[in-house]
Amino acid sequence: MGRRTKKRPLTSHVPRPTSYVPRPTTMLQLIANPIGVLALSKREIHRFFSVSMQTIFPPLVSSALFMFIFGVAMGRQITLGDGSVSYFQFIVPGLMTMHLISSSYENTGSSLFIGRWHNHIQEILLSPLSYFEMVLGLLAGGVARGIIVCIGVYAISFLSAPSYIVHPFVLLYFMAMISVIFSCAGMMGALWAEDFGMLSMWNIYIIVPMVLLGGVFHPTSILPESLFIISHFNPMYYLVSGVRFSVTGMADTSIASCAAIAFAMALAFFGATVYLFKIGYKLRT
Amino acid sequence: MRNSEIAISIKGLTKFYKNFRALDDVTFQVKRGDFFAFLGPNGAGKTTTINVLTGLSNYQSGDVRVFGHDTTSEYLYARRLIGLCAQESNFDPFLIIYQLLVYQAEYFGLPPWQAKRRANELLDRFGLADKRNCKHRALSSGMKKRLLLCRALVHDPEILILDEPTAGCDLELKFLIWDYLTQLNKEGKTIFLTTHYMEEAEKLCKTIGIIHRGKIVKIGEKKEIMQDKSLEDVFMEITGLED
Repeated sequence: MGRRTKKRPLTSHVPRPTSYVPRPTTMLQLIANPIGVLALSKREIHRFFSVSMQTIFPPLVSSALFMFIFGVAMGRQITLGDGSVSYFQFIVPGLMTMHLISSSYENTGSSLFIGRWHNHIQEILLSPLSYFEMVLGLLAGGVARGIIVCIGVYAISFLSAPSYIVHPFVLLYFMAMISVIFSCAGMMGALWAEDFGMLSMWNIYIIVPMVLLGGVFHPTSILPESLFIISHFNPMYYLVSGVRFSVTGMADTSIASCAAIAFAMALAFFGATVYLFKIGYKLRT
Repeated sequence: MRNSEIAISIKGLTKFYKNFRALDDVTFQVKRGDFFAFLGPNGAGKTTTINVLTGLSNYQSGDVRVFGHDTTSEYLYARRLIGLCAQESNFDPFLIIYQLLVYQAEYFGLPPWQAKRRANELLDRFGLADKRNCKHRALSSGMKKRLLLCRALVHDPEILILDEPTAGCDLELKFLIWDYLTQLNKEGKTIFLTTHYMEEAEKLCKTIGIIHRGKIVKIGEKKEIMQDKSLEDVFMEITGLED
């Protein structure tokens, strides 16, 4: 380096690959820049792994405490229905869903908000990634973190009281749908928020109460009739029920309607997020 | 590329921030291989023009093209041709600088092995090789400027847009950046530079455009614009700052 050194060219010696030129996207070919999407996904996953003490372990620790207090200590005093499923086994899918939701939401929410805050979101906005691809790449981190935490919660429960997942593929479906819904919700929250307080507001005042009321710790069948009816208007109830059915084989509502609601929500949230990126909501001036 | 001779074409560009007209019917072209200085006082519309060109800003009316590609409807094509060196350092705080460049190259579609090779080439060329495992916070302001340039060049763009690249630099770094830019231009890159330093524009550029209160007030070849005056005098005269 320096003014007296012999100058080497600054332009690339690397030949441009064919994938370097983005091809037009069609409905059948939504990903024109797979390398870019993969890079963004890798970066998002790298981000939460690099701070795993803040992103992976806290929900596992709190789940272990919930399982001990509610499942082991108090759960022995509680009998559900015919007693085929213990209270401990009952709350595990609820805890899995709760942490799947919060981890997915927090991951994309914090990543995108910090990107806006530090303005390094420009790295993505300047690149030849379509808005669909941007959302897909950012989503990967939320989905991966949510699923890792969800499986971690199950692993902790397995250590305490081994029980096998009754419908693993159904669980995979619900984990994918729920993590997509709340990763997109996290992105929407991050675009809307002007400060960190606003970012966590949705989680504290809307998502967590709805999840808890959706039947994480209680079967909705024990509620008074009026509350039982109201709880059926809470979409979280269907998501918790879907995961509970997958893990224990027990459900107090139709699993097909749970799956359909989860799919419709995932599609709606994903579409809305891509739309916000397309119009540049709080991303472009 | 549809029109290989015109790198940037802006016609009738108008941009409002609420009721404030930031750009008013801005029209100009930058030829391929040109070294274009875009000058203007603070708030004149330089950064807004850059943001529109790069897709960081929406606009109300006009036609903005990069090598013939509309920056809105054909943004995937337009963006790969542009490298932006922003005014302020804006790097991902979670990444070391090597990863930062590799990811950036991959966003532009370079396969990982090529992205790594390109990142290494640039870190070496810009004297940052020994800092490759550092996060950007550990770099001096001069090194951050060089890293901004590396990031802008990592996908080997046809057009390099620089928003006040030497603001706040010491003399040594300023000369170093001037050398890099001159070399890049000789290698065929089109350079679009905004600066407040008239001597910088005078020394480096071939063509000059002056924007004032959102309107292009003067544009042409450097000699044509300066005639026998200094660029600073011309600038003061045009923008009315001498009063």
